Amino acid sequence: MSAPLLHVDGLTISYGTHAPRLQALHDVSFCIEPGGALGLVGESGSGKSTVALAVLGLLDEGAHRENGTVRFQGKDIYAMDDDVRRRLRGNQVSIVFQDPFTTLNPGLRVGRQIAEPLLVHRAMTERQAYDECERLLREVGIADPAKMMRSYPHQLSGGMKQRALIATALACDPDLLILDEPTTALDVTVEAQILSLLASLRRSRSLAMLFISHNLGVVSRVCDDLCVLYAGRVVEHGPAQAVLTRPRHPYTKGLLASLPRLGERRSRLSPIPGRLPDLREPVAGCVFKPRCTFALPSCELEQILIDQGDGRTSRCWRSRELADTPWQLPGTQRQAKSEQQGDGQDRRTQPTERPLVQVINLRRTFQVGGWLDGLKLDISGGGFPIKKEPALVRAVDGVSLDIRPGEIVGLVGESGCGKTTLGRCLINLITPTEGSVRIEGEDLLHAPRARRRALLRKAQIVFQNPDSSLNPRKSVREILARPLLLHGLASGSEVDRRVEALLDMVQLDKRYADRYPHQMSGGEKQRVGIARALATEPRFIVCDEAVSALDVSVQASILNLLADLRDELGVAYLFISHDLSVISHIADRIVVMYRGVVVEEGSAEQVLAPPQHPYTQALLAAAPVVGRNSGKPAPPVVSRRLADVSRGCRYRDRCARYLGEICDTVAPPTQHGPDGHRIACHLPLQMLADPAQRPPGPASQ
Amino acid sequence: MATPLTPSLRARWRLPPGLAWGAGLLVLIVAMAVVGPHLSPYDLDAISLEERLQPPSIQHWLGTDEFGRDVLSRVLHGARSSLLMGFGATAISLLLGVPLGLAAGYYRGRIDEIIMRVIDVMISIPPVILGLLILSVTTPSIGKTMFAVGLVYVPIMTRLTRSVTLEAAAEEFVQAARARGESAAYILFSEILPNAWPAIIIEAGLRVTFAILLGAALSFLGLGVQPPASDWGLMIAEARPFIDSAPWIACAPGVALCVTVIAINLAGDGLREWLDPRLQGRQS
Amino acid sequence: MFAYLVKRLFYVATTVAVMSVLIFWITQVMPGNVAYMILGDFAAPEDIATLEAQLGLNDPAHVQYLRWAGGMLRGDMGMSLSMNQPVSAVLWGAVGRSAILAGISIVLVAALGIWLGVYGGVRRGRLADRIISIGTYINIAIPEFFWAIVVIMLFAGYLNWFPATGYQGIEHGLWAWARHLVLPVFTLVFGLIAHVSRLTRSSVIDVMQSQYIRAARARGLTERRIVREHALRNALLPTVTVLAIDVGVLMGGVVVAETIFSYPGLGRTLIYAIQQMDMPLLQACMMVVTCIYALSNLAADVTYALLNPRIRYGNAADA
Repeated sequence: MSAPLLHVDGLTISYGTHAPRLQALHDVSFCIEPGGALGLVGESGSGKSTVALAVLGLLDEGAHRENGTVRFQGKDIYAMDDDVRRRLRGNQVSIVFQDPFTTLNPGLRVGRQIAEPLLVHRAMTERQAYDECERLLREVGIADPAKMMRSYPHQLSGGMKQRALIATALACDPDLLILDEPTTALDVTVEAQILSLLASLRRSRSLAMLFISHNLGVVSRVCDDLCVLYAGRVVEHGPAQAVLTRPRHPYTKGLLASLPRLGERRSRLSPIPGRLPDLREPVAGCVFKPRCTFALPSCELEQILIDQGDGRTSRCWRSRELADTPWQLPGTQRQAKSEQQGDGQDRRTQPTERPLVQVINLRRTFQVGGWLDGLKLDISGGGFPIKKEPALVRAVDGVSLDIRPGEIVGLVGESGCGKTTLGRCLINLITPTEGSVRIEGEDLLHAPRARRRALLRKAQIVFQNPDSSLNPRKSVREILARPLLLHGLASGSEVDRRVEALLDMVQLDKRYADRYPHQMSGGEKQRVGIARALATEPRFIVCDEAVSALDVSVQASILNLLADLRDELGVAYLFISHDLSVISHIADRIVVMYRGVVVEEGSAEQVLAPPQHPYTQALLAAAPVVGRNSGKPAPPVVSRRLADVSRGCRYRDRCARYLGEICDTVAPPTQHGPDGHRIACHLPLQMLADPAQRPPGPASQ
Repeated sequence: MATPLTPSLRARWRLPPGLAWGAGLLVLIVAMAVVGPHLSPYDLDAISLEERLQPPSIQHWLGTDEFGRDVLSRVLHGARSSLLMGFGATAISLLLGVPLGLAAGYYRGRIDEIIMRVIDVMISIPPVILGLLILSVTTPSIGKTMFAVGLVYVPIMTRLTRSVTLEAAAEEFVQAARARGESAAYILFSEILPNAWPAIIIEAGLRVTFAILLGAALSFLGLGVQPPASDWGLMIAEARPFIDSAPWIACAPGVALCVTVIAINLAGDGLREWLDPRLQGRQS
Repeated sequence: MFAYLVKRLFYVATTVAVMSVLIFWITQVMPGNVAYMILGDFAAPEDIATLEAQLGLNDPAHVQYLRWAGGMLRGDMGMSLSMNQPVSAVLWGAVGRSAILAGISIVLVAALGIWLGVYGGVRRGRLADRIISIGTYINIAIPEFFWAIVVIMLFAGYLNWFPATGYQGIEHGLWAWARHLVLPVFTLVFGLIAHVSRLTRSSVIDVMQSQYIRAARARGLTERRIVREHALRNALLPTVTVLAIDVGVLMGGVVVAETIFSYPGLGRTLIYAIQQMDMPLLQACMMVVTCIYALSNLAADVTYALLNPRIRYGNAADA
């Protein structure tokens, strides 16, 4: 057996100059064989990025390596000279960071930056380096390398930048590639392509990988082995498929149980209660104990990694005993109302009920820049040489949809599809350019001012970012009381009573009323945001990526809460998300948007099982799902130039079932399937619905 | 995502050394300005021709000037006018600049364009020129100089207020307030301003030093405080002919200016550190 | 980029136009009748009336303004009341002399200021940085006129190395010309260097903490190469734009220093015009200063546009 390529042993790292120090990593050990792929999984605060930096020797100044070694090809990198270590980076060990937008120097051309490792480590001339870069860019799937190299970073999309960064990481043919959340900032379809690319590069170059991510689905697609980190400790380690299908450590079980699964419509997720421990305080016994359902008094002892056989380890002395026991919630947790009532059916509305919210042909166009922008020098024409052509963005371009009382409508699409704009039009944060919004039959935009305030009481919003959705200078009580006072719903001591009732509804103890946002965790802040939305007793709430900024375990509890509130109060939601698994879990009906238009709409089963519109199919194929076969290739990359956005089908630039001229010139008609299923496509319904007709390869351009 | 709880109360109240020293020094200076003149045994313009141009001694701690007036007393008096100039002018620039900045940052659109274009024009003019322009047409006095200096700094305060207002307005809790149907006044004063004022106060603190220096420069040129009142800039101007024979007459007010400005800068930097924990340890 | 430049040009033109109105309006309001100034306080009322009619002082305000503005645009700035010369002759001489001072000073400020800023920024927290920081801190607190006086006291008075005041054209000899410039340049450089160096330093520190610098390290570049090729370019962008503005300040805004050194530049001419209540000279002088300042702001904007790829190239479609 060959020596491992990378051997991390007992790594212990802390941050900070004053006591108490923050323990980022504690006794972390793992190996990667040449050509092997290890996934490092954990939520925020688990220390996974610290591992990446530690392996490269790039820790910040405030970090102390208290213990442990990192051996690359048998040599201890911290025993090396600075210069020797530097020569490893970009050369034998490379890294691809998370955010392609900040990882490239905005002031230099892309080509110059990509070529750097070659210039530094291989002493090539500029000409040689540039030629080699063009070859590398072609290898990572860039069609026009020369043009990309001449471009500046801001002129490229996120996916292209990330490919370029992968190319530069591979420039000197490294033995190990570290990837720190490489696809987190990208759309799901782009993510799928990048993951495919990585898989094929691994095969063609016999590249070893250390893949760091919080997303279990992504990791399962790429990695052979998996290492689960919690609070800076390795809690489980083993072959990826084994760990994901038969987890041994309670944390891993909890993590998997709290994931919404695409295609599995469970009525309730099982989140992990509690929150991450404060890493500045010393840990007594098992670090996961405070949140573990299976905790027993013996868990007070420090836990070590115990061999589970088949190359698996777990840091829990009860692992073998609980091998087949799934994650459970403690008995005090609430059950879904519907489960208690035993009817097993989520509360659905009858199709004949009058819609609560009606969106009629909504359009919203933005002009790029101010009134002096968009000026162009045009000497060709006969008139005045300076013409004004402001660039227009059609964020929402003719969307109609209905939301019935008590219904959860999931609005899904990638970045730039207009879903956020649409959501904000429904509550009057953005004024539509055309079209109308009706709440309980009344037109929102043309209502007189006094009436509009009353209407807005019925429609509220929960935002994405818990750090930004609460005013840091107000206490929870002030935040929750304000809507009550503003709309005259309560006064005096009644206000306090109502505030407590709201906190109770979102399962927060009433002591939270006097806390300030910086004293609460992300999940708690999001609950306050939901309570604030509930204060005016709305009929309808827009959830704008309400769980996207939360960790998986916290996300699960918020999703449960939202479902419970719908069951108890009969509130309808427009649930906006880019994450198809979340949508498939919670939504009754699904609306799929692409570039400002609705491409498909229907009940959750109609839209997802099986997906019919080509875009829906692409989204589903791209979504990383735990346990999905890692050998499956990603959908083929299709890319055409869109000459004129306003005519024809929006999706024709990426559609795998492109028909030709008709898609370019005529907007696709909305076809109606059974039970309110709508699809916008030129292909007739039978062809869309027939799985045999699904194309295996890309259509001709 | 779990955020760590606040640092302990003790840590939050630990003052940065810069703030402590600077604020302390400043308090001392202000105290001297207010109380000092009453304590000094000499009158501000007590002319005593026998004691002209005397170097520092026991009777006159900072010597005497060309009219035999006690330099220390004049420096203490001068403190009043310089500090008044600094704080007064800054107050004016806040009074005018902050509402403009709030309006521009919150309403955007045409109001923003108009305000910003006017500000751009004003910023294009060197401060001294603008001050001169205003003062060249009237008989200078400390009040008018203060107003002129204040006006000079309105654009900067407007720009700063506008940019923090833009930042705050982009936050989701402001969007939440708009979704509730709150009035603009409520949003500006109850949601945005409480988050914006630290940056504004810090900038205002630094502006005080610029205002003091600009005011002194204008007085130096004869366009500020008029004799026989004393003002540090004016004192330096009057001391010019005697720079070789009696340097202390110019040095005393000059050093006083420096020390005051340094004290305010220290206090301002310390305040910034204290109000924004993220900056601790980053910049000097 | 074209749209950006048009925008900036438009604002410059607006600024100059608005300032011209302001300058004209304020100086018209100034006490002291122009005719009395020329003929003396005790002149006969009829003579005053004749002169007023001759000078067009009885016309409505906007007519007078347009006449003046038209003259300005043609290069005719009127006659100086106190010096009995055409204003343009006086002014262009002053502009030239100010330009010399500004030119030499800006080069020194740029070189020293940037070097100090980068040196301190790269070695943040260490002894060299602390020393430089303290130095600039104190420097900012010293008013320019006080420093000028101290400089004169030391180098002209006590050591007698250089003359305290005045100016000698280069026709008198290179050394004679140069020695009159030393002290003013020294003072001006001192006045600006602290701001430039602090700005550069904080800019360098900001840049060195950004993600792309970390990514460059991860590619195996030496620290030296990183600073040279990645950090400097981006860190100097704010500094360069400020320097462009400083050129304008050095030309027209150093009234105090020019007064102390009796250096016959634009600033001193301006003060003189105010003291003499010489209206045409005052108006022209302020307009010239405004134009120079506005142009230097424009230069700063153009430099920024050239150096910032986002503005220079816009969002061209990619492959």
